[in-house]
Amino acid sequence: MQKVKVSLTVNRKKYNLEVDPDERLLDSLRDRLHLTGVKEGCSIGECGACTVIIDGKAVNSCMVYTFQIDGSHVLTVEGLEIDGRLDPLQLSFIEHQAVQCGFCTPGMLMSAKALLNKNPNPDKEAIKTAIEGNLCRCTGYQQIIEAIEAVVKKDGSE
Amino acid sequence: MKKQSKGVKDRPRISGKDFNQYKYFRPKSKKELIRIINGFQEDLTIIAGGTDLLVANYQKLYEIKNWLDLNLLDELKNIKMFDDKVEIGSMVTHQRLSKLDQIKELFPVLHQAAADVGSPQIRSRGTIGGNIVTSSPAGDLLPPLLIYDAKLKIISGEGSRVVDANEFFTGPKKNILKKGEILEKIIIPLKEDIYKGAWIKVGKRKALIISSISLALNLSMDRSNLIKKARICIGSAAPVPLRIKTAEQAILKEELTKINIEEVAQIVSEKISPIDDIRGTAKYRRQVALNITRKALSEVMNQ
Repeated sequence: MQKVKVSLTVNRKKYNLEVDPDERLLDSLRDRLHLTGVKEGCSIGECGACTVIIDGKAVNSCMVYTFQIDGSHVLTVEGLEIDGRLDPLQLSFIEHQAVQCGFCTPGMLMSAKALLNKNPNPDKEAIKTAIEGNLCRCTGYQQIIEAIEAVVKKDGSE
Repeated sequence: MKKQSKGVKDRPRISGKDFNQYKYFRPKSKKELIRIINGFQEDLTIIAGGTDLLVANYQKLYEIKNWLDLNLLDELKNIKMFDDKVEIGSMVTHQRLSKLDQIKELFPVLHQAAADVGSPQIRSRGTIGGNIVTSSPAGDLLPPLLIYDAKLKIISGEGSRVVDANEFFTGPKKNILKKGEILEKIIIPLKEDIYKGAWIKVGKRKALIISSISLALNLSMDRSNLIKKARICIGSAAPVPLRIKTAEQAILKEELTKINIEEVAQIVSEKISPIDDIRGTAKYRRQVALNITRKALSEVMNQ
């Protein structure tokens, strides 16, 4: 099988990869870069567990072939932590107990992050829309929404 | 490795690795695109956003050998405004359609339908062209395109042709595109009339749902506030997105407040040809068709 050369910036680090033409970004991130925070749930774009941010947009990494995003910037949950410091969203998820089994959490965080990057002051409806593509079967979403709202409020008061 | 069988039960446990793949192309210009279409004789699967195709490939619904990826074709990502029309490139995403103020102002029904597609993750990849070419009877953007009398520009190695969106769909996931033809852009005429429109999508939940039934409505009003042109289109309740022309005729030249809502709703409910499937029974769809027609007409009366 013909391999494809792809260069990607993942979590601020540049990688030159040789991937299969039908290798999903999800597989490249997990199997080649060992970024296993990217979860494989449904594999068909329904659950959002594999959500990453590509060039500023939340995307299901199971629905993108790696060759399609040559040259792009990818951010995964691992990239939220900078120099040992967790992202305010991560801290807020912990504080509000917005995590139970944890499987949806990376995807939830990335959807929330993509929202806050574009709109630092979203209302509750905008928050709900931003995570509408992420399924959580434990928390009932309430704590997740509260965690995101808390980051927004904190930001506003500073 | 060769794909032996198809169907969900045979899908790989860890996907991605045991797929067979022959060739892929990523043209950067229309010229290069045409050269590829003309020069490559085998089957080419054209990928836009990939939000349907990657699912089909994952579930091995059919075999995909060669990919033609349109994502580098910036020429297909433009939205151009003219005095008498708006041209939307086939690679414009749902996200852009749902965020652009100009689309919201000119074509609110299309705008709203784009915002109702899947989820943010789907909207940021999925495209208007993909929605059209996939030609699912449940394609969210299709009824809105039909009520705005959209035209489709199709290009191929032999030249180009423009067809009415209403003539494009021939059955579930079937359309008039021939091998080697690519949807380049969607052309929506602009009229000076005042439009009144409504969009209703019915599903089991709000996000990530394939509609059980949908309705797009657009009325153009003349100067004396009579209905000059009416368009009612139903999705997910026939093999193709279906304009209900009898219902459209029934309200022509009427005053908006004097429309016989019950009559129109009855016509719509009778003219669709729904089936029983996992998203609802035919009987359910006929009942909901009544309800959403009433709701849409009441909505435009209050606009």
